[in-house]
Amino acid sequence: MNTLARVAATSGAAERRVGGPLIAWYALLVAGLLLGLYAFGYQWANGLTVTGLTNAVTWGLYIVMFMFLVGISAGGLIVVAGAELLGTHRFEPLNRLAVIVSGTAIAAAAVSILPDLGRPQMAWQMIVSPQLMSPLVWDMGVITVYLTIAAIDLWILTRPRPMAKALRVMAIVSLPVAVLVHSVTAWIFGFLVARPFWNTAILAPLFISSALVSGTALVLVVAAIVRRVSSWSLPDHVFADLGRLLAWFVAVDFFLLLAEFVTAYTSQTDYHLAPLEMLFGGRLAPLFWAQITLGVAVPFVVYVVPALRRRTSLLVAAATLSILGVFAKRVNILMPGMYEPQVSLAPGIPLGRPGQGFGIDDLYVPSWVEYGVVVGILAFSAALITLGVRRWVLPADPDEAARP
Amino acid sequence: MLGTLLAGADPNEGIAAPVERTSAIEALPAASRAWGEIDTRSDAPRWGMLVDTERCIGCWSCAVVCKSENDVALGMWWNRILTEGSGLDTPSVDDHGRLGMAWLPLACQHCDDAPCEKVCPTAATYTNAEGIVLVDADKCIGCRYCMAACPYGVRVFNWGEPEKAPGVGEGMVQARPVGTVEKCSLCVHRIEEGQQPSCVVSCPAQARIFGDLDDPDSHINRVLADRGGSKLLKEKGTNPKVRYLPPRRRRSL
Repeated sequence: MNTLARVAATSGAAERRVGGPLIAWYALLVAGLLLGLYAFGYQWANGLTVTGLTNAVTWGLYIVMFMFLVGISAGGLIVVAGAELLGTHRFEPLNRLAVIVSGTAIAAAAVSILPDLGRPQMAWQMIVSPQLMSPLVWDMGVITVYLTIAAIDLWILTRPRPMAKALRVMAIVSLPVAVLVHSVTAWIFGFLVARPFWNTAILAPLFISSALVSGTALVLVVAAIVRRVSSWSLPDHVFADLGRLLAWFVAVDFFLLLAEFVTAYTSQTDYHLAPLEMLFGGRLAPLFWAQITLGVAVPFVVYVVPALRRRTSLLVAAATLSILGVFAKRVNILMPGMYEPQVSLAPGIPLGRPGQGFGIDDLYVPSWVEYGVVVGILAFSAALITLGVRRWVLPADPDEAARP
Repeated sequence: MLGTLLAGADPNEGIAAPVERTSAIEALPAASRAWGEIDTRSDAPRWGMLVDTERCIGCWSCAVVCKSENDVALGMWWNRILTEGSGLDTPSVDDHGRLGMAWLPLACQHCDDAPCEKVCPTAATYTNAEGIVLVDADKCIGCRYCMAACPYGVRVFNWGEPEKAPGVGEGMVQARPVGTVEKCSLCVHRIEEGQQPSCVVSCPAQARIFGDLDDPDSHINRVLADRGGSKLLKEKGTNPKVRYLPPRRRRSL
C-alpha cells in the first residue's frame, strides 16, 4: 500500500478511494504513456523514417487517429448542447462525464497531430506565420475554440449552483462551432483536387454523422464502465435513450456513405471506380466489410430493437462495435485516397529512403513506432478521462460535503 | 489570386532562393556558360518549361544531373522519367498489338494555381515574383499536406537524415534538413545567374525548352505558338507552367 492509497483510505471518501484495481489501471496508463513518449522520442531523434510512411503514402495511422479523435469529441455536445436545445433533461446526469470525454478527445486530437509533423519543434510556425487559405490553419483555430468551449462548459457544470442560462448560451454557441470542427476536418481532405475519392461535397456531412455515432457511443461506453466500477448511480433509461439516438446516427451515417458510393459507382469513371474496387474487393475489402457488418449492421440491430436496446450489456457491446466501425471507416476514407496517384506511370513515385526505389501503390504497414505513439495517445486520453471523472463526476467526499 | 493575396506579406517575395548557393556558376567554362544562357527575358519574367516528348529518349540524364545539381539525397528524385508501359523499360502495347515506347519526364509543374501552396499552413511553399513555386525549408513544419495536395506526386520528404552516395560531393545548393518537404526549384539559383535549369542544359536530345512565358520573343513562346503544348492533368485546374508537346508520330519498335 503506498502513501497515496493510505491517505485516500483514511479520508473516508467512498468513491475516490484508490484501491488495488485503480492502482493497476493507473500503472497500465503510465506504462502506455511511457511507451508513447519513448516511441515519439525515438521518432524525434531519427525522423519519420522510423514510420511505415513513404512519399506515396504520406499520411497514415497518425492522421487516422487525428480524424477519429476529432470525430469522437462530438459526444459531449450531443448530450449537453443537443439536449439543451431540444429541451430534454434525459441526459442531465451524463452532462459532466460527456463534457470530460469530449474535451479529452479534442485535446488528444490536437496532440496527435504533433507526431505526424516532420519537425514538431517548428509547429509554432503555424501561429506566427499562418497561411490563411489552408484548412489546416482553420482547423487549428476551430479546435482551439472547441477546446475552450469544453472547458467553459465543464466550469459551468461544476459550479455549486446550476447556471441554466449560461448553459443555454453555451449550447447555442457550441453547436455551430461543432459543425465547423467536423466540417473543417473533412475539408482538409475534401478540398484536394489531387484525391478524387476525398474531393466530394459529402465528406463534411459524412464526418459530422460519423462524429455523432462515435461520440455518442463513447459516452455510452465510458458511462457504463464508470457505473460498473463505482457506485455512481445512473438510471438505465439513459443508456436506452442513447441507444435510440445511436440508431438514428448510424442510419444517417450509413445513408450518406451509400449515397456517395452509389453516385461514384454509377459514374463508371476510372478515378471513381478504382478506390471503390479497393474497398469492395481489393486490399481494403476485409476491413471495409468488417466495418459494414460488425461496425454498422450488427450495432444497428441492437439499437433499433427495443428488447435488445434495453439490455445495457448488449448496448455497450454494440456501442464498442460502433466506435471500432467508425475507426475502420476513417482508415477506409484515408487509404483509398492515398493509394491513388493521379500520374501512375512506371516506375512511380520515389518512396524516399535510400535503397527503397519507386512505387505506385505499395502497401502501407504502420511501424511499431506509430503503434507505440497511438498507445501513448490512448493512455493519455484514458488518464485524462479517469482523473476528470474521479474529480467531477463521482459523488463528492461525504466528509468534505459535511464541512461548512 | 493567391499569389496577389500573399504579395507583400511574404518576406521571401522576389527571386531569392530558399537555399544558399554553395558553389559558383562563374566557375564553369565559358562554353558551358554560353550554352546554358537564358535566351531572352521580359521585365517581369514568368518562367516556364516545354518538354517535347517526341524528342525524349528516356535516358534519365536530366534526372541524374538534377540530383547532383540540387544535392538530392539517396532515395529521392526531384525529376524522373516515367514510362508509358508496364515497367521502367517495358514497351506499351496499343489496341492493334503494336509495341511503343514513350516517356513522360516529370518534375514540379510550377502551377499558376498551385494546390500545394494553397494548403501549406505556414506559407513555406510560395510562388516567387517570377512564377517559380518554391519551398522555404526554414518555415516547413513537415506536415506533408502539400504532398497530399499535389496531383503530380512530385514532392519528396526527408524521412531521415539526408544520405548521399559515397564519394559524391556538394551540389550547387544547400541540403534540406530532415523532416522537410522538397521539390524541383526550376534551378532558381541558376536562373539568378542567367542560366537555364540543369535538366534543360544536360538533355542530350534537346527535348526541353526553358524560357519566359511572358516574353513573346522567347524560344519557348515561339514553339508554343507553332506546336501548341498541353498541360498535364489539365482538368485539375492547376495551370502548370510546364507544358508538354505530344509526339507527332508513333515511335515504333
